[in-house]
Amino acid sequence: MPTTVTENTLLTQAKDAARLAQKLGADDARVGVSRSRGVEVEWRDGRLERVQERTRRGLSVEIFVDGRYAAMSTNDLRPSAVEAFLTEAVAMTRVLEPDEHRRLPEPARYGGRVAVDLDLADASQSGVTSEERRASAEHLEALLRERSANAPIVSVTSAVEDDSGESARVHTNGFEGVRQGTHFSRSVQVTLIDRDGRRPMGWAYTVRRHQAELEATEAIVDHARDMALRQLGAGKLATGKYTLVVDRQSVPRLLGAFLGPLSGAALQQKRSLWDGKLGERIASPLLTIVDEPHLIRGLGSALWDGDGFATRRRAIIEAGVLKTYLIDDYYARKMGVEPTGGSTHNFEWALGTRDADGLVADVGEGVYIDRFLGGNSNGTTGEISMGCAGRVIRGGRLCEPVAEVNLAGHFGEIWQALVAVGNDPDPNSSAASPTCVFEGIQLSGV
Amino acid sequence: MSMLAEGLAYFGRFGVDEPLLRAALDRALARGGDYAELYFEHRIAHEVGLEDGAVNRAFLHVSLGVGVRVLKGDQTGYAYTEELTRDRICEAAATAAVVADGPASPAPRAFEVRGRPDRYPVKLDFESVDIARKMPILSEVNALAFARDASVNKVTVGYADSDGVMLVVDSTGHVAFDRQPMARLTVGCVAERAGRRESNHHNLAGREGFEFFTPERIRKVACDAVDRTVFCFDATTAPAGEMPVVLAAGSAGILLHEAIGHGMEADFNRKGVSVYSDKLGKRIAGDEITIVDDGTQPHARGAINVDDEGIEGQRTVLVESGVLRSYMHDRISAKHYGVEPTGNGRRQSFRDPPLPRMRSTYMMPGSVPPEDIVKSVKRGVFAETFTNGQVMIGAGDFTFYIKTGYLIEDGRLTRPIKDTNIIGNGPQCLERTDLVGTDFKIDEGGWTCGKDGQSVPVSIGMPTVRVSAITIGGVN
Repeated sequence: MPTTVTENTLLTQAKDAARLAQKLGADDARVGVSRSRGVEVEWRDGRLERVQERTRRGLSVEIFVDGRYAAMSTNDLRPSAVEAFLTEAVAMTRVLEPDEHRRLPEPARYGGRVAVDLDLADASQSGVTSEERRASAEHLEALLRERSANAPIVSVTSAVEDDSGESARVHTNGFEGVRQGTHFSRSVQVTLIDRDGRRPMGWAYTVRRHQAELEATEAIVDHARDMALRQLGAGKLATGKYTLVVDRQSVPRLLGAFLGPLSGAALQQKRSLWDGKLGERIASPLLTIVDEPHLIRGLGSALWDGDGFATRRRAIIEAGVLKTYLIDDYYARKMGVEPTGGSTHNFEWALGTRDADGLVADVGEGVYIDRFLGGNSNGTTGEISMGCAGRVIRGGRLCEPVAEVNLAGHFGEIWQALVAVGNDPDPNSSAASPTCVFEGIQLSGV
Repeated sequence: MSMLAEGLAYFGRFGVDEPLLRAALDRALARGGDYAELYFEHRIAHEVGLEDGAVNRAFLHVSLGVGVRVLKGDQTGYAYTEELTRDRICEAAATAAVVADGPASPAPRAFEVRGRPDRYPVKLDFESVDIARKMPILSEVNALAFARDASVNKVTVGYADSDGVMLVVDSTGHVAFDRQPMARLTVGCVAERAGRRESNHHNLAGREGFEFFTPERIRKVACDAVDRTVFCFDATTAPAGEMPVVLAAGSAGILLHEAIGHGMEADFNRKGVSVYSDKLGKRIAGDEITIVDDGTQPHARGAINVDDEGIEGQRTVLVESGVLRSYMHDRISAKHYGVEPTGNGRRQSFRDPPLPRMRSTYMMPGSVPPEDIVKSVKRGVFAETFTNGQVMIGAGDFTFYIKTGYLIEDGRLTRPIKDTNIIGNGPQCLERTDLVGTDFKIDEGGWTCGKDGQSVPVSIGMPTVRVSAITIGGVN
């Protein structure tokens, strides 16, 4: 991975920009400089579909002038352009109305940064060749076809991608930080044709910080194939209340609706149904979610958050009880409370003992959901309504496929109705969701 | 001034000149690509925000770069650079060129200059408007919102303008230059009654200069946001199950966008993964249904003078009297199908290769008075405002989320409803669209369409229609 020389270059650029902002009239500034390079190869039906290279850079500056605040970003880094840009920004900021809550965070909160090497960058990334990416993508498709002998395949698209990025951040009241990271991913999607002309799709992916940790190709193609096959011959479901077994890849949709209203912005702007619920039980006792920012090689790992605060491990939900809000520095000032940190990183769940198959067997009768489609939720009131599809569970086994199903209710009540958690956290997501089982959930069909 | 001269006059400030264009195209075709294209973009965007009564935040974004695309058959090589120097652009061209593997193809000898329509002339350039003139717009919206209803207790307002300049030069010698303005005004509103809170958002957008922010629009966006919020106090979730739905004229065009629009983007059909892949020339809806995707509407958010491949934006009839007539094409799919591109090749920015994308998608009005459509329903749902939708291209299943509406009982609007998703199957839903109203409205909301990680601005429109049966994702 890039050397410390590069780190220093970005840090120097950030410091220079902060100094320039101050010279042009800013009292304080918060500067981020970033650079990244990624390559993606997409392969479809026996040939190369697309090769893309992405080389990005950017400068973002938040400035504080006379108790006023503005933020800006540019990728035009010619020195004359940066100076003109910051000059315009300072002039623009002076005209705004003041905001007493906009200040740099207390420097004391930058302290306590954990001295651990998160190992987020894989040095092998710079050595990956175009030929290797093509070969991997081609192999994914071939393997999927090989392992789907009798499936009515219309099209298979696979993709192989890797990137590396570095960034530096400086606050004029003392914060400095640099970080680097890499990502590697493999994905595949398969479209089948059904007897009635519908073309159901299945997909799967694996993503890691380090190449050697990518999931086995067999597991990815089998997942995509099974997901597509599960929808062949889909019919409709009778409207009613069901026990749901939700696939671990789909759980984050339900979780995101539930956790979104914990933000400082939602609370302060009165758009949160969790207002006043701190310390109360807002979910099933089976739900425990701990945020672990220091997971080695974690997809969401970070030593400091968006405000520059040192990150720490903390429970968000413990046995169903709301342990903390997610309040950043600005909204904490507006609310007159201590900031709790507005970011989340890697989740750890209190896991159960059964995998998805085991949970389906335990449930006996219900519906297995392996994809959500569209929909939305209302963080002020808790209503949620979204499309989904999957299979009916009967006798502890997956039976007939169903589509055009819609799940609706109140997301607080849905998480109260959590009755089992799997032992299978998704390693391809920082949410690390296991399979979850919910009881008595309203599904619409015919 | 020709488009090339205009383009070079603009991008010349970054050092772009004709020899550079030729050198980059030569490099892009050095390995035998069929086609190469340079897409230069410079975008300056301003945002101003109001929260808790004060206009106290502003954002400025500058984006500059060039994307180089090389095609070999329907294969794509793509790279971009954010430094507009000759070396960097030629490097990007060399990277994109690797999609081909053969001897060099010839680059153009002359650049061809064509005229261009002007569908969004700007009266008042954003660049010439100081932030001090933008701030009162936000304060005015805030004051109007609080005055509208005593239960309002939080209002946020967002002002946004953007000036995007693009120059497309390709290896056929074709040149296109365009300036694409965008204005947008967003309002968020929270109201409280007897300890109960409701919230909602509303926004308006269009391709106009600063003159977009008229007193009428300022009033409308503020009042509609409040009305749509307090409406929710009386509303409940809809019932669950399959029933008839009447879609109100305007933003119900989201149904077309999701149910059939994406499925008619030709890349999905070229790959055989759309539910409409084998339906060209076939009847897919009733006689009264004509659906159009249109880049020509003056000042519409989805209007484009030229698309991001330099093809003139046009009006494309997708479904004519119930028969599927055309997909939406970019260059790749047009070549694949042996037709002319339809001006649907769009991209989020120079960082992205273009894809077939919608512009302004709408259904033409029909013959039934809208009030008769509501009267025709014994028990169903009247869907009035929407937030978002999604589709599974292959299966054809799509959803859209109703923010507000009513139950219909015995032909009359009765109980208000809110926050309910609808799920249906595109082809089936078109077949079941059996009454089409005489009214028609293009929605002025700031709709944004996402595909393959790229967002582009679009418009949607609809007459009042009835779908005879569709699944309502409510609660019983």
